[in-house]
Amino acid sequence: MDQPIISLEDVHKWFGAFHALKGVNLQVSRGERLVICGPSGSGKSTLIRCINRLEEHEQGRVIVDGVELTSDLKRIEAVRREVGMVFQQFNLFPHLTVLENLTLGPRWVLRRSAGEAEETAMHYLKRVRIPEQAHKYPGQLSGGQQQRVAIARSLCMAPKIMLFDEPTSALDPEMVGEVLEVMIELANDTGMTMLCVTHEMGFARQVADRVLFMDAGQILEQNGPAEFFSNPRHERTRAFLERIL
Amino acid sequence: MPRSTLTEAGSAPEAVWLRLKKRLFSSPLNTLLTVLIAWLLLMVVPPTVEWLLLDADFRSSSAQGCADSSGACWAFIAEKHRLILFGLYPYDEQWRPLLASCILLGLIVLSAVRRFWRPSLALGWLVGLLLVGVLMWGGAFGLSHVENTRWGGLPLTLILATFGIAFAFPLGVLLALGRRSRMPLIKAVCVLYIELIRGVPLISLLFMSSVMLPLFLPEGFSIDKLLRAQIAIILFAAAYIAETVRGGLQSIPRGQYEGADSLGLSYWQQMRKIVLPQALAVVIGPLVSIFISLFKDTSLVVVIGIFDLTQSAKAALADPQWQGFGAEAYLFIGLIYFFFCFSISRYSLAVEKRLQGAHGSTHYLS
Repeated sequence: MDQPIISLEDVHKWFGAFHALKGVNLQVSRGERLVICGPSGSGKSTLIRCINRLEEHEQGRVIVDGVELTSDLKRIEAVRREVGMVFQQFNLFPHLTVLENLTLGPRWVLRRSAGEAEETAMHYLKRVRIPEQAHKYPGQLSGGQQQRVAIARSLCMAPKIMLFDEPTSALDPEMVGEVLEVMIELANDTGMTMLCVTHEMGFARQVADRVLFMDAGQILEQNGPAEFFSNPRHERTRAFLERIL
Repeated sequence: MPRSTLTEAGSAPEAVWLRLKKRLFSSPLNTLLTVLIAWLLLMVVPPTVEWLLLDADFRSSSAQGCADSSGACWAFIAEKHRLILFGLYPYDEQWRPLLASCILLGLIVLSAVRRFWRPSLALGWLVGLLLVGVLMWGGAFGLSHVENTRWGGLPLTLILATFGIAFAFPLGVLLALGRRSRMPLIKAVCVLYIELIRGVPLISLLFMSSVMLPLFLPEGFSIDKLLRAQIAIILFAAAYIAETVRGGLQSIPRGQYEGADSLGLSYWQQMRKIVLPQALAVVIGPLVSIFISLFKDTSLVVVIGIFDLTQSAKAALADPQWQGFGAEAYLFIGLIYFFFCFSISRYSLAVEKRLQGAHGSTHYLS
């Protein structure tokens, strides 16, 4: 079998005295789709943020597509070029138009020409079904539209891995659907590796190859979605699922 | 049409009177204030207008003629305006500083218009500054050489202010970034610099630059006095700009950095494309305040014997033939300062409005 595209070995992370990750081990193979769930404060966001080094792990090893993350800036930038991320709060750049948000990375990081970058941007805006908003500013869009722009912005970098950090938690309920729809399409149409922190269990059932349950900084349980939902092995997983389903 | 009937009703005399009554005499307190203010205006305005215009002397050719009128002696300004505007610059050559000032102002006005923000503008500045230099110094193209100790008045003020802002601004931005740096040494140097400079008045910096700096320089090595004053002004303003910009930087949410990080933008790309455009937009108001005070603070160079606008006005007052026209002279240069500062202020308002209009939502500007 292929070498895993993401490999975490005994990863620890502290925030002051708080032990956020307690020796996490995780292997993700190419094209695999993971959904990570768990109570708040369990370390799920921290875990995926360690993969593009928005958080620095303090012990253990994080290897992404053959590059081990260290404090070396070159490696960090190399990994970040391969890894796209979608945030809970979108983190679009409010002073740039939607199109400029999308072309920024390709132009300055990948050194594409303006024309090429715009073509790619329009392609992905069509995929997330808002090409008509290209010349608006993020502040003029609804939350659901902004999150779709954020997804398109990541896709423009042609990443091998996409990280989603609670992409629908900040949205009004009626907008959750449109974002999930885009994500499901993305999962079905591309062979992209996806890691998604979410409580949308419908989404997990539909697209996940594997569902992880985290609690208190550890991966407590992981399984295929059918098995995970119908037959949770751990007491705390069961309690958690009962609460959110 | 309802609108026109409304305005017609609004402009009818009785309606006007009603509105006035409502605004000015709606309560005993308001009535009292209205009467008081009306009385004050009556006391102040007519004499001022009389002094400024009606009784003023515009034409006399000597102080004697002026003394006969009870109003302002604008003839004094007419007589001395070249000394005030150009200081001790040789009288017959004063078209040179005039032209230099016009070039400088022209460049500043061009730079304020977004439409002209392209590479050729930088070329324009280069050529313009070269021209200004040649005009002021001379010594080439048949122009006689003029020592910069003889420069003075408005061109000097403009030069000090323009270069002051042009260099202090980038320096201030770098210092602000440095103060937030994760590298302890850079951070320490920036903090030390900002706190030191902010801890002393500009006057003492100017004195230091003129008296102490030469002591530290190796023998036989000297920097021109004007340049030293210019450097002192730049260093001073940069510290304040740095603190203001830091305020703007702090208003940028962490998510902006993370968004930029996740795209793989380098530190300088993030600063240039994401962070500074937003941070500077937030602090345009206070930044412009600093620019305005810098413009006025250039007048402090008098303490080290440089002949700026204020000092040349004083020189004009020293003429024994024309004694006692201080009010006119200071009003005149006051108006010049006001013209420039007010223009800067209006321009910044326009920029702020444009930025707010452009982004649809202004949540990050507020």
